[in-house]
Amino acid sequence: MYHMNAVHSPDTTAGRSSAAESVAIKTSGLTKRYGSDVLAVDDVDLTVHDGEVFGFLGPNGAGKSTTIDVIMDYVRPTAGSATVLGFDAQEEPREIHRRVGILPDGYGLYDRLSGRKHLEYAIDLKGTDDDPADLLNRVGLDVTAAERSVGGYSKGMTQRLALAMALVGDPDLLILDEPSSGLDPNGVRLVREIVREQADRGKTVFFSSHILSQVEAVCDRVAILNRGRLVAVDSIDGLRDALGTGSTVTLTVDEVPAELSLAGISGVTTVTTDGRTVSATVQDPEAKVAVIDRIREDGAAILDVSIEDSSLEDLFTAYTGAAPPGIDPETAPATGAGDASDAASRETSASDDSGEVAR
Amino acid sequence: MTWPTIARKEFADALGSRMLWAIVIIIALMTSLSAGLSLLIPEMEPDAAVAIGGASQFAALLVPIMALIAAYLAIAGERESGSLKVLLGLPPSRGEVLVGKFLGRGGVVAIGLVLGFLVSGVVTVAIYGGLPLTAFVGTTALTALLGVSFVGIAIGISALTATRARAMTLAITAYLRLTLLWDLVPNAVHLLVTGEMPGQVVPAWLLLLQGLSPTGAYNALAQALLLGSGTAVEARIGGPAPAYLHPGVFLAIMLVWTLLPLVVGYLGFRRADLS
Repeated sequence: MYHMNAVHSPDTTAGRSSAAESVAIKTSGLTKRYGSDVLAVDDVDLTVHDGEVFGFLGPNGAGKSTTIDVIMDYVRPTAGSATVLGFDAQEEPREIHRRVGILPDGYGLYDRLSGRKHLEYAIDLKGTDDDPADLLNRVGLDVTAAERSVGGYSKGMTQRLALAMALVGDPDLLILDEPSSGLDPNGVRLVREIVREQADRGKTVFFSSHILSQVEAVCDRVAILNRGRLVAVDSIDGLRDALGTGSTVTLTVDEVPAELSLAGISGVTTVTTDGRTVSATVQDPEAKVAVIDRIREDGAAILDVSIEDSSLEDLFTAYTGAAPPGIDPETAPATGAGDASDAASRETSASDDSGEVAR
Repeated sequence: MTWPTIARKEFADALGSRMLWAIVIIIALMTSLSAGLSLLIPEMEPDAAVAIGGASQFAALLVPIMALIAAYLAIAGERESGSLKVLLGLPPSRGEVLVGKFLGRGGVVAIGLVLGFLVSGVVTVAIYGGLPLTAFVGTTALTALLGVSFVGIAIGISALTATRARAMTLAITAYLRLTLLWDLVPNAVHLLVTGEMPGQVVPAWLLLLQGLSPTGAYNALAQALLLGSGTAVEARIGGPAPAYLHPGVFLAIMLVWTLLPLVVGYLGFRRADLS
C-alpha cells in the first residue's frame, strides 16, 4: 500500500520527495524508556499515509500519548526515530509544527485569557490569517462565550477551544489525543464531523483514543498499542477478517438443553451460555440459520434472537487480553459473580480461542 | 521569529494580572519612604543624595524578591498546567519561548521599577527642592538592571523545573543565597585567611567577593555612583583601588548573572521531556 501510494502520488512539492509526500507519520524502532524500569514505547514501527484517518487505539497507559509526545518533540526518544510530513521530529520540529495542528493529552490553557485571545495568540504564532470567528464557528463556540475568560469555561468549552486552536493554519496533519474527553454527545459528534471534513479535504488525521466506537466510526485504518508495543495495524474490516470473530448469534431460550450440540456445526467457533441465553460465534453466514435449527432440534424453544457483527471491543479484547476501560458495560464480557461465574469463565476461554485464531 | 509575540503576550498578561502596578506601587512607596526618612528623624541632615542611597538600599532587598516572584512560574507554571504543550505544539521553539518569556517579564519588571522610581523622584524634589539628576537616573537604571538580572535567574530556574513547587523552592533558595546570605561567604573566607572577622579597613579582594553576587554588584555600583567610583572603594580598603574593583567589572558581573542562568536554563530545557 505504501509503495502504491509512493508511485502514484502525482503531486510533489519542492524539496520533498514523493515518498515523503505520501507518508504523514513514520516511526522506526521508536522506543521511549523512562528511568530503568518504565518502557513506555517499545520498538514501534508505524506508517500513517497522507490523507488517511488513522486510529490509534489502546488502553490508558499503553503508550499512545508518549508516541505522540515524541512525534511532537515534547519528549526525546530513547531509540529510533519519527518523521512527520517528511521532516525529522527531533531535527526539524518547527517545520512540523507549522503544518500540524495538535490537541495534546493533558493540555492546559491560560485561565485569565479569553477564548478569542487564545485563538489570536495561536494565529500570531503560526503566522496565518485565520479569522477567529470562522474557527469559533467550526467548533460550535459562540462569539459571546469567546469573549469570556477561559478560567470560567466548562471542560467541553475548553475542549472546543483547544480544538479550534489545533485547526489554526489549516493543518495538513491533525493530531487528536483523546479528543472526546469531557465532551457531551454533541461535542463527540462535532469531533467526528471535523475529522470527516479534514479527510474530505485530503488532510490527514491521527486520532488517538481508548474509546473504540469513536475510532471505529471515523478511521480508515487502526493501530492497536498495548503496553508500549504495536500489536496490530489494519483496516477495521481487515482486523475482523484477521481475527475471524465473525458474528455472534444470541438466542434467548425457554431452557438451555442439557446436551447442546451447537459446537459441532461447521463454521461455529465458540459457544457460551448464561442463564437462558446461548451465544454462538459463527464464521460463515449460513451457520447462523444452522445454529437456530440445531438448538430447536436439541429441544429448546426460542424466545428471542439477536445477531451482532463482532465489535471492535471484541477485537480489542483479543489483542490486548483485557477489556479496555471506557466501553459500554452492556457489551463488555459478563464478569458477574455467583451463578454467572461459570459463564464468565467460559467467556474467557472464548476470547482466548479467538486470540489463537489471530495467531 | 515568534519570541516578540510571546514577549508581547507576557507583557499583556502582566498588565492584566496587575503585576506591573504592584511593582510600581511597592517601589514608589518604599523609595518615597526612604526619601522622606530625614523628615521623620530630626538628627538626619536633609540630603537628596543620601535619600537616593537609602532608596537603593531598600531596592537591593526588595527588587530581587519582586523579580523572582514576577518570573519564577513563567515556564514551570505552563509546564505544570499543560499550556506549554499547546504553545510548543505551535511553531515556537523552546529557545524562543525562553527568550520571549525573559524579555516580556524582564520588560514588565524594568518598567515597573522605573515608574516606581519616578514617583519617588517627584517626592524627593518636593521634599528637598531638587534632585541630583545623574545619581538618580543612574540608580534607577541600575535598579532596573538588578530587576532584569533576577528575572534572568528566575526564568533559568523556571526552565529547569517541572513543577510550581520546585520552582518556588529554587526561587526562595536563590533569593536567600544571592541576597540575604551572600555576605557570609566573603566574611567566612576572610576569617579563614586572616583568622579574624573583617574590620573597618578590609582587603580589596573582600570587596570583589562581596560584589560577586548580583545584589553585591548592584550595591558596589550604587555606592560608586553616589560617592564617586574611586572614593567609595578607597575609603574601605585604605588605599588606591585595584583594577578589578572598577565599576565595569561589577557591571559585567550583573550581566553574567542575567545571561548565565538563561543559558543554563536553556540547556536543561532544550533536553527536557515535557510529559
